[in-house]
Amino acid sequence: MSSRILPDFDLLLPQSIPDAVELLSAHRDRITVMAGGTDVMVAMKFAQSPAQLPDYVMSLENVPGLAYVLFDPERGLRIGAKATVADLLAQSEVKRHYRALWHAAQTFATGQVRNTATVLGNLLRASPAGDCSCAIYAIGGVVVLHGTSGRREVDIDDFWLSYGVTARRPDELAVELILPLPAAGSRSAFKRMTRTSEDLAKLNVAVRLEMSGNTCVDARLAMGCVAPTPLRLTRTEALLKGRELTAEVLQRVAASVPWEISPIDDKRSTAEYRKQVSGVLLKRAIQEACGAA
Amino acid sequence: MSEQAIVGTNAPRVDVRDKVTGQAQYAADVRLPGMLYGKVVRCWEHAHARVKRLDLSAAAASPGVVRVLGPKDVTPKRYNSSVLDLMVSESMHDMLGDIDDQPIFTEHVKFQGDAICGIIARSEEAAERAAAKVVVEYEPLPVYLTAEAAKAPGAVQFTPEKPGNRAFQLPEAMFPNNALGGGDVEAAMREADIVVEDAFYVPKQKQCQMEPHAYVAKVDSGGRLTCWTSSQMPKLVQRKLAKLFDLPMNLVKIVPTVIGGGFGTRLGMISEPQACAMALAVPGHPVKLQTLREEDWVISPSRHPGKYWMRIGFKRDGSPLACDARFENYKGGYYLDASGTAFTAGAWLGGMYRFPALRYRGESYFTNQGLTGAYRGYGNPQTNFVLEQLIDRACAGLGADPVEWRKKWHKGVGDDGWCPGVTYPSCALDECLDRGAAAIGWTEKRRKYARQTGTLRRGVGVAVMNHTSGAMPMLLEHTACTVKLNEDATAEILFACSDMGQGSHTALKQIAAETLGFPFEHVQLSGGTSDVAGFDIGAHASRTIYVGGAAVKKACEEVRRQLCERASLQLGVPAEQLDIRDKRIFVQADPARGIDAEAITRAGVYHFVDPATGEPGGVPGQIQGYVSFFAPHNSPPFGASFAEVEVDTETGEVRVLELVNAHDIGRAINPAAVEGQLEGGIQQGLGFVLSEEICYDADGRVQNNSFTDYKMFGPEDMPKITTILVEDADPIGPFGAKSVGESGLVSPVGAVANAIFHAIGIQFTEAPITPEKVLKGIRETGVRDYGSIGGGR
Ligand SMILES: Cc1cc2nc3c(=O)[nH]c(=O)nc-3n(C[C@H](O)[C@H](O)[C@H](O)COP(=O)(O)OP(=O)(O)OC[C@H]3O[C@@H](n4cnc5c(N)ncnc54)[C@H](O)[C@@H]3O)c2cc1C
Repeated sequence: MSSRILPDFDLLLPQSIPDAVELLSAHRDRITVMAGGTDVMVAMKFAQSPAQLPDYVMSLENVPGLAYVLFDPERGLRIGAKATVADLLAQSEVKRHYRALWHAAQTFATGQVRNTATVLGNLLRASPAGDCSCAIYAIGGVVVLHGTSGRREVDIDDFWLSYGVTARRPDELAVELILPLPAAGSRSAFKRMTRTSEDLAKLNVAVRLEMSGNTCVDARLAMGCVAPTPLRLTRTEALLKGRELTAEVLQRVAASVPWEISPIDDKRSTAEYRKQVSGVLLKRAIQEACGAA
Repeated sequence: MSEQAIVGTNAPRVDVRDKVTGQAQYAADVRLPGMLYGKVVRCWEHAHARVKRLDLSAAAASPGVVRVLGPKDVTPKRYNSSVLDLMVSESMHDMLGDIDDQPIFTEHVKFQGDAICGIIARSEEAAERAAAKVVVEYEPLPVYLTAEAAKAPGAVQFTPEKPGNRAFQLPEAMFPNNALGGGDVEAAMREADIVVEDAFYVPKQKQCQMEPHAYVAKVDSGGRLTCWTSSQMPKLVQRKLAKLFDLPMNLVKIVPTVIGGGFGTRLGMISEPQACAMALAVPGHPVKLQTLREEDWVISPSRHPGKYWMRIGFKRDGSPLACDARFENYKGGYYLDASGTAFTAGAWLGGMYRFPALRYRGESYFTNQGLTGAYRGYGNPQTNFVLEQLIDRACAGLGADPVEWRKKWHKGVGDDGWCPGVTYPSCALDECLDRGAAAIGWTEKRRKYARQTGTLRRGVGVAVMNHTSGAMPMLLEHTACTVKLNEDATAEILFACSDMGQGSHTALKQIAAETLGFPFEHVQLSGGTSDVAGFDIGAHASRTIYVGGAAVKKACEEVRRQLCERASLQLGVPAEQLDIRDKRIFVQADPARGIDAEAITRAGVYHFVDPATGEPGGVPGQIQGYVSFFAPHNSPPFGASFAEVEVDTETGEVRVLELVNAHDIGRAINPAAVEGQLEGGIQQGLGFVLSEEICYDADGRVQNNSFTDYKMFGPEDMPKITTILVEDADPIGPFGAKSVGESGLVSPVGAVANAIFHAIGIQFTEAPITPEKVLKGIRETGVRDYGSIGGGR
């Protein structure tokens, strides 16, 4: 509860991706990957029992070439495992093509944390409150994993299994995230609610809409802090698809959200409040996405 | 004295260079040869329990451990970590019922974090590893988190001296019917045309000072105990420790370290008893005891939360008839400060408006929450939240403008202040209200926002407050100051009252330099260790400038008198006809005739007889001024706050757009420091009313003991701030000054609540007013135009 000492662990510093994979497969459940460490260190400090503590911490510090944020106008955006939230903000195409992610990165934590925390770390932490996670869920994409049996891609839709648990196998290292190139008429937005501005979200939402005029051709809606993992609002998406975004449609969309989520009471808010404002926040995100062409 | 050259300027802060360059030495920075490290083992799992078994053997055998101390290894005497009991007479002490109920290490855990035993080891790490090996078996007891629960029949008694777990109520002997006030409230209420009444809840707020508590203690070969601490009250802590450990005061030395923020949390002691008990167990070795934020959070006192009920009656013409109030606060597990806030919350209430009849009852109940004690404002924000909202509710019903109503009915010059018999010598509240109203655009915005449509609704609100300048007359108000002149005519001032970062030592230096007629740079001021500094009751009650400044001024005047007398001998002009400026003593009527102060101070110290003439060279003796000063009066400041808010009616979120704090300062010795106090106060006031609250689970464990889940306003949350200093010199304060240390946070509380009322027509009785509560309120009653509920004018 009150300690200045981090529990004992061995620090491993692989020099390459294959090195890292080897270490992961050797130590499996007893090893934790550390990118920026902004989640890992906090978890180690506040671990309730020794069972929650790793014997080995494997830092990606010395693995070369993973700090990239690369935009390819043909194929989309590639974010390396060591790219920080600040790196993402420094890449000018992100704001243009992936507005929701840019906005999530911008409101994320504070300058110090943004300089350290990685985008992939946010996905791998598998917290329902992750801001980048929420935006990425709405945008869609694939996580690239390297393991003993080679490289594979996992669609973000299949990535989070339960609270804190992802589809990553124990011997796998997440190497990068690939986001698709947005089609013409595609737009996105992100919104979050916090107690004060420096806080984790009590509710966050991201939308990606494919618009043709005022008609929504396709929609991906993601919401955080309302389920054990970030949540796709698939039933609400169905209410949008093929519809013109009139006030009535938006009203119906907003009204449908509380039925799709199962929030809880916690330190940041109540289940009741989250249900009450979930539709409002989604509606505003849709309006913002449409406003910001 | 002529035009002031230094008082009233923004002289550079004396502490700031060291702080921003990392050279300031906090207690945690103290490193001494042979230093050992202490760790207090605390009960984290229970808020109420008995220790059934304590096994220290494994901890004692842990590597690097020097000593382990259980309850039986330290003095069995109990203490009261607050120092209020030292500042009242013995008969008053008995009447108030102050008790010593805190053990150094306990066998009856009364709140989460209560101290169980101590470890002394060669390193901090070794101490912590050993602490983890202490085996404690507890027998859990029922947990009481509210006054209602603690006073229920059959509840476990916290201490035999306080039956029913009532730690304090206003004593009958001093307050008939245990109530503060006067007049026949019931009869007056019967005459009322309009009565407003409600039950409120005020939250438990943490000071959140930057520096977590840390100490070093050491016993030397002569048996003298030295404690390095950043207490706000070093002299009273010296006395407390001497009493606790049965030592004469000359064998207890306090070394005050730089204070990394106080706000009341360092009023008295926190872990000095544990640190010193450890040092006494290993004589010759300094012991350092440091706390982490999470530990500091649970062991240091916070603001008193509780239930606050109030009823106010008015005539249709707006005149107030009576106010009836009851504040039942939830103390933590121990007594400290139980009498203080329970009284002052009512005192501020009594000091505000001209109620012909007033009845305030204040009670404190033990609970298994963390400790409660002093926090900037000391009962005042609690009262402000309640009183100012009810006044605005009445104004809406009466169709009265809240600014005009306040101007008409607030107390002023000649009225009794917060303590009957001590009248207000000055009051510039009307000007605060006028200038504040103009700054926020009151008239126009009140009208404009009375009728609105749309999702976002704006409102402006006002609140006023009175506070105190010093502890007189309730508490001892005494301070000593020594001024000594060096041979080169520079001044060294010794004054024990701490600078907590509020700029007080800078302003005191300005007062000294102004009074002496010396340049600012030629005056040194230090708090000194307890063995060299004179008596002082500490930095609290917004007293440092009003009382301390008067003491410094008086001691400097004594020095000035001696300088002028000696100069008079040489100049052949009566001392009263001399003046000093820039260290030169000159004839007022003929400024060209004068003598340098240095010629006098040098001759006083290096005193030789001229071998040729046999004549002495000037007057012998080093010049010193000393004063043991008792404040003759109290000149409380007033203040008015204006807030503009925007309420999102779909989410309940409240954005504060602007906050204006207009303050009746009397005279600003250092205007920038005064503004800084008002701005910092706003940040804490906004937290109180909108976002801050310590929460407990049903078992009494703190849910938010760090900044992760305890939310203060950060830079991005802060509104536009305007501070207005209304300078209308007080006839008593030094250079006309009154206080500002605590005031800034008080009336933003009521102003924000009232702005929300103006915006959506709903009042909230529980602080903090979170979006969750606002949205619930809107769903229950709907958004109402202020104009439609009567306040349209
Ligand atoms: C003060 C503070 C404020 C914060 N504010 C926010 C906020 O506003 N919004 C928000 O969403 N989060 C916030 N966070 C949480 C945290 O910063 C983010 O989740 C961040 O993105 C984690 O990235 P990281 O690089 O620090 O991850 P790490 O702590 O290094 O790792 C996080 C998890 O991912 C795993 N992991 C990381 N990289 C890989 C990899 N390549 N392969 C396999 N597993 C991997 C780790 O094992 C661990 O389980 C905050 C944290 C702090 C301390």
